[in-house]
Amino acid sequence: MNIIGISINHRTASVELRESLNLNSDELKNLISTLKQNILKEGLIISTCNRTEILGITYSDSISFDNLISTLINFKKVNGISSDLFEKYRSLQVVEHLFRLITGIDSMLVGDNQIFKQVKDSFQLADEHNFIGFYFKKIMDFCLRIGKRAITETSISEGAVTISFAAVQLIEKIFANLSKKSALIIGTGETGEIAAKHLREKGVARLALTNRTFDKAEKLAKELNTAVFPFDNFKEHLHKFDIIISATGSQNVILTKDDIEKAMTKRNYEPIVIADIAVPRDIDISCRDIENVFYNDIDSLKIIVEQNLQKRRNEIPKVEKIIEEELNNFSEWLNSLQVSPIIKSLREKFESIRAEEVANNINKFAAEDREKLEIVTKKIINKLLHYPTVELKKYANDENAQDLNRIRLSVVKEIFGLNSIKDEEKN
Amino acid sequence: MIETIHTINILLPIFYFLTFLIYLYDFQTDDKLTKSKRFFLSLTLVVHLVYILLRTIEFDHPPITNVFEVFTLLAFSVSFSYLILELVTNIRGTGLFIIILSFAFQIVSSLFIKDLFQVREELRSNLLGIHVFSALIGYAGITISAVYGFLYLLLYDSLKQNKFGLLFDRLPNLEILEKLCFYSAVIGFILLTIAITIGIIWLPQTNINFSYTDPKLLGTFLIWIIYGIGILRKFYGKLRGRKLVIVSIIGFLLTISSTILSNFLAKSFHSFY
Repeated sequence: MNIIGISINHRTASVELRESLNLNSDELKNLISTLKQNILKEGLIISTCNRTEILGITYSDSISFDNLISTLINFKKVNGISSDLFEKYRSLQVVEHLFRLITGIDSMLVGDNQIFKQVKDSFQLADEHNFIGFYFKKIMDFCLRIGKRAITETSISEGAVTISFAAVQLIEKIFANLSKKSALIIGTGETGEIAAKHLREKGVARLALTNRTFDKAEKLAKELNTAVFPFDNFKEHLHKFDIIISATGSQNVILTKDDIEKAMTKRNYEPIVIADIAVPRDIDISCRDIENVFYNDIDSLKIIVEQNLQKRRNEIPKVEKIIEEELNNFSEWLNSLQVSPIIKSLREKFESIRAEEVANNINKFAAEDREKLEIVTKKIINKLLHYPTVELKKYANDENAQDLNRIRLSVVKEIFGLNSIKDEEKN
Repeated sequence: MIETIHTINILLPIFYFLTFLIYLYDFQTDDKLTKSKRFFLSLTLVVHLVYILLRTIEFDHPPITNVFEVFTLLAFSVSFSYLILELVTNIRGTGLFIIILSFAFQIVSSLFIKDLFQVREELRSNLLGIHVFSALIGYAGITISAVYGFLYLLLYDSLKQNKFGLLFDRLPNLEILEKLCFYSAVIGFILLTIAITIGIIWLPQTNINFSYTDPKLLGTFLIWIIYGIGILRKFYGKLRGRKLVIVSIIGFLLTISSTILSNFLAKSFHSFY
């Protein structure tokens, strides 16, 4: 069995190159068909913004990494991508790579929890197109289990690792229940939009937007079902909000300390969280001196992000331990495949002899004893085969004596006349 | 039995300290020790309960006759109330700040407690039992409220100064801390009200030295009024956040001062030995 894999990813290639090899769902389906024709018997394609990978079992040993790479490049019709930009995996490395990938420790943002769904979806798509065979079905089961274990048994995916999420994490350290809070987003560019969506997902009770270009704010407001304030008079409404996130491209301060002071007086000094994620800053930093104003700019939010990333990095050894454990389990399963036909055949042989002898002699026993005869003879066979079965399984998992084990297995086949297995293996 | 009581008296501060260490470890590391820390706290409380029962049986009175006996009861009440709170709210990261107080109360008690066989007859009354029990739970509520108030201030300062260390990671959010502080104070206030009411009804009948100008009584009234005003102002939305928790902390400091003053410095009918 020749199992190989290639990967172009954030470690090996720039975003432009990665983008040029990114596959949409239609392309994925077509590429699967192409690969199935004469390159891979079974396999998997993963394509995300950070990576494109092809992994699978080849039809023949002569199919190499270069075949996979050229198939991908030709399929996407891109020039100037060298084979050096691809990481290459062979045999158990492929499995280990998938295990590392699904746990998020291989991601650009360590512990990225989107990768679990992306890998799962890739397996599902491959399965729908009959690209998942006996081996990859097992690999998929292992991957899903490991992904879940990493999430539940470690903190690899905990904590915010983007500025917008860090702002939400901070807000949650002040307010217990966002469903009772209101938020204002100043600036509806990409950052403001992401922040608005995060707050919506977190169930904030009332969300409002304001932007210098009113139409842009109105468009996002429709999408998120929020209120919109004209930029000229949004300050009059400031006191109504518990959370203010500002992310405009303005070169000047939009909200002064005095603006915040007035709002605080109107809201009877109820706590307010201000996340100023604009560069340069939109809000006068001295507003943090006002009681119950929790002001954070992009630098302080970056501290949270970096701390969370460090915590996730500290969890990597725990995840690697899970991977090592499961990789051993997978190897055991793989090795057991070598001996299981022999064990099966041995048992069938003994059973046929037993059944034949019982059939030949059944009339010598009284009717009431015949059932007992069946039970007793089956027990004898089981006891006779118990030790050889255990030993055969041990051979399978003894990686240090592969050559010796091959001889041992062939002796077992020879002395018990199990030659039919050879034919099965050939098939 | 005396030997057992003396042994447990030495062991109790050690038990509280070990429980504190487990809670501290749980606070400082990412390894969640939820089961073991709760088990150890429960074990400490069981040992403590046995100690209180043994003392009551051996000396033929509940341990309420002097400040050191009351301190051991207070250590128990504070940790017991916290355990219930932890089980009900499932909060993590605040236990060590409360258990350290139980440790402090217990170590003072263990060092100075005496074997009192002779106590004044009025100290064997059932009504007194209810009075003391409600006062102790009330004090436990006030203590826990102050701890949460203190934690609120710590987290508030961390957030204001953009310090995102262990306190930021482990403590519940400000609103939760404020709620825990407020509700603990409300429970403390209600039970203190019961204790004061029983005290006022019962004490003049049993104690010939009773006086409405007694320093302990005046101190307790002052505390009761502070908490009462604080709770009312919170109820009407006039007091919240930082100011609210500061009131709670002041109330607690006054409570401790009042207890110490009335037992050591002033002549009070609450000094029974």
